[in-house]
Amino acid sequence: MSGEFGEFHDELRTVARDLLGKTGADGVDWPLLVRAGWTGLEVPEEYEGTAATFTEVAILLEEIGRAAARTAYPSVAAGVGALSALEPDARRDTVLRETVAGTTIPVAVLGGDMVPAAGGETACAGTGGIVPTFLLTETIEGFRLSGSADFVPDAPVATTLLIPARAPGGSVRLVFVEPGAGGLRIAERQVVDATRSLGRVEAHEVSVAAESIRPFRSDIRDGLRVLYDRAALAVACDSLGIAASMLDATVEYARVRTQFDRPIGSFQAVKHACADMFVELTIARRLVSGALAADGTADRSRAVSAAKSFTGEAGVRIAGKAMQLHGGIGYTWESGIHRYLKRATLNRALFGAPADHRRVLADRYRAG
Amino acid sequence: MSGSDLAEFRDTVRRWCRAHVPAEWRTTQTGATDAEFVAFQRDWFQQLRATGYAVPHWPREYGGGIPIPEQIVLYQELAAHDAPRLVLAFVAIHHAAATLLAAGTDEQKQRHLPAILDGELWVQGFSEPDAGSDLAALRTAARRDGGDYVVTGQKVWASGAQYADWCLLLARTDPDVPKRKGISYFLMDMRSPGIEVRPIRQATGESHFCEIFLDEVRIPAANLIGAENRGWQLAQQTLGAERGLTMLELAERLGNAGFRWLVEECRKPGPLGQRPVDDAQIADRLARLEIELAGLRALCRDLVERHDAGAVGPADASVVKLYYSELLQRMTDFGVEVCGLPGQAVLRKPMSGGWESGAWVLDFVGSWEWTVPGGSSEIQRTIIGERGLGLPREPAGA
Ligand SMILES: Cc1cc2nc3c(=O)[nH]c(=O)nc-3n(C[C@H](O)[C@H](O)[C@H](O)COP(=O)(O)OP(=O)(O)OC[C@H]3O[C@@H](n4cnc5c(N)ncnc54)[C@H](O)[C@@H]3O)c2cc1C
Repeated sequence: MSGEFGEFHDELRTVARDLLGKTGADGVDWPLLVRAGWTGLEVPEEYEGTAATFTEVAILLEEIGRAAARTAYPSVAAGVGALSALEPDARRDTVLRETVAGTTIPVAVLGGDMVPAAGGETACAGTGGIVPTFLLTETIEGFRLSGSADFVPDAPVATTLLIPARAPGGSVRLVFVEPGAGGLRIAERQVVDATRSLGRVEAHEVSVAAESIRPFRSDIRDGLRVLYDRAALAVACDSLGIAASMLDATVEYARVRTQFDRPIGSFQAVKHACADMFVELTIARRLVSGALAADGTADRSRAVSAAKSFTGEAGVRIAGKAMQLHGGIGYTWESGIHRYLKRATLNRALFGAPADHRRVLADRYRAG
Repeated sequence: MSGSDLAEFRDTVRRWCRAHVPAEWRTTQTGATDAEFVAFQRDWFQQLRATGYAVPHWPREYGGGIPIPEQIVLYQELAAHDAPRLVLAFVAIHHAAATLLAAGTDEQKQRHLPAILDGELWVQGFSEPDAGSDLAALRTAARRDGGDYVVTGQKVWASGAQYADWCLLLARTDPDVPKRKGISYFLMDMRSPGIEVRPIRQATGESHFCEIFLDEVRIPAANLIGAENRGWQLAQQTLGAERGLTMLELAERLGNAGFRWLVEECRKPGPLGQRPVDDAQIADRLARLEIELAGLRALCRDLVERHDAGAVGPADASVVKLYYSELLQRMTDFGVEVCGLPGQAVLRKPMSGGWESGAWVLDFVGSWEWTVPGGSSEIQRTIIGERGLGLPREPAGA
């Protein structure tokens, strides 16, 4: 990483930490976040964005995890990714501009229970690859969209849904749908993690205009897979932030809390547990950077799977250790550690459990 | 360095490996005698040296000077081609060289660095029976007598002492000051009178480490390295200094041949014709290890780059050492589990390799060669906790 880049990243991180530090239980103030330029970070300059990359977005995602913040930003970042993966046209460009301006909240409708495909099998359907769970049909009156996706992050707060669907002819398209469209139902999905908003999206014969059905850019091979990988990596970034904040909190506590006339951090059992948390976090960080660096290469999916499965587990283990090492205080509602532990368990399950991702990697071992 | 230059360098190394890595070395080095092992190692060293690959990390004027990105490529390719390792010269090219470069006089450097390239071998004589993890408790004493120091004491676990020409020796020169302050660092000629070396049989059955008995051994004062009574600081500095590069090589080997063997083992049909790899749990564990290896390799490359930029943190080397050694242990343990009883009947492993050879039981037993020496895993965790995370130290005497 060049020095200049490094400085920019440090600054971004500091600003993010500052902004998120002001967050209450109600979540991050959206206009504040928009003014800080977050929604336009990855958007090209011609649409009023900053033309940075997902690597910079990843810093914000990690900081959001670090703060266990309630915000739709991760989903909007995924939405921006989806919009950028489409061929430009008036509709798309408008939504992109409005997203930067903060007037639209676009959410890509990816089921959080989708798992990466191994050997042609998927949880969603049996046709190989990541396949859409929505279907577009053409009738004399026009196009109709049907299907459903569950555990879609931030679907309840979306103002524009970008729904991947199989079009007549078999190709995958993204369909722009308004949440109020007839036949569309978004049901909030209550989960234990109170810092997240998830929804089940169901479409029954929703009629859509032809202009709302957009193809992926011609240079993008498996568009849905690209979106899925990005969503999984975003969750990995969040888990990384959770792990980092839980380690920091634990080290800080172990320095000041005394028992037996000594700071507990001077007990080897505690110190060594912290060292293991740190080592695991370090490896997780390397895997996430590796996945970010693999963007656009043939290794992307594998690198994402490695990062997602490792970080998902690390997040839970480190948050759990944090609860343990804080003693009784750690178990209280007030300490807030439970928020991290719950969020970490959700992250681990979201967009493929660790074993799902490892199954993809393991497929290669069987051949030969 | 542009990407295309690096790609060209990779091609060059590849071609070199194809032409020079002895095809059958694993077979010939399995059950080799000591003499055959030493001859093979010397020959391999000279082949690498002829191309400038033996000491890429040394300064250019002494025969190195390969930039870090190329070194990474070099180790990747050597690992991918399953080249033998420079096990015999390891202490010479890493620890001795780092120490000489950090604190040696011009004379000491001129005397030893070229000699190492010609095959001079070194041993590290630090540990003693009562000074292992607490190395500063060492008791071997050196007393000044005219132009010499006279050394008496005992060293233990000295790897390769039976082959060594020279020894990096820590000895106490001032018994009356706090223990870290009275230690000096010497370059000791292993042919000096008064030195006796006795190999010790180790857990794998081999005898690579030795006891060294020192009885009134005379070391010329010119062979003191660094200042008198400042040996502890120098030893700390040079121990950590080279860890990045050596770990890079080892991590690449573990990620290449090491993992390949594991996958191959998992593909071997068992007694009923079933392959372990077709079992979902086995496949899951393999994938878990592959992910860990990816993390380790990235971590090592990162450490080497930061080492080059002078940005290494006080516990970075410990993180890498701890993770490598415990991952090695997990992998070889898994190998033992998968290979079953037939694996128990593999009684020999090749010399000249790393700690991963596919002879799973011996590899697993041998993995303690990483979790114990050079600061045990417990000691590494303490270093990470105290120097890396700033946690309070244990109270003195506790
Ligand atoms: C294969 C091999 C090769 C070696 N090669 C060399 C060599 O070439 N040159 C050389 O000088 N030395 C060498 N050594 C020695 C090695 O560095 C020591 O064995 C090592 O430092 C541990 O010291 P020890 O054996 O005295 O064990 P001890 O220090 O007695 O440790 C015993 C156990 O107690 C634990 N322990 C000790 N102190 C603490 C503490 N403060 N906190 C927590 N746990 C603690 C240790 O982790 C270990 O589990 C080699 C050792 C081996 C096994």
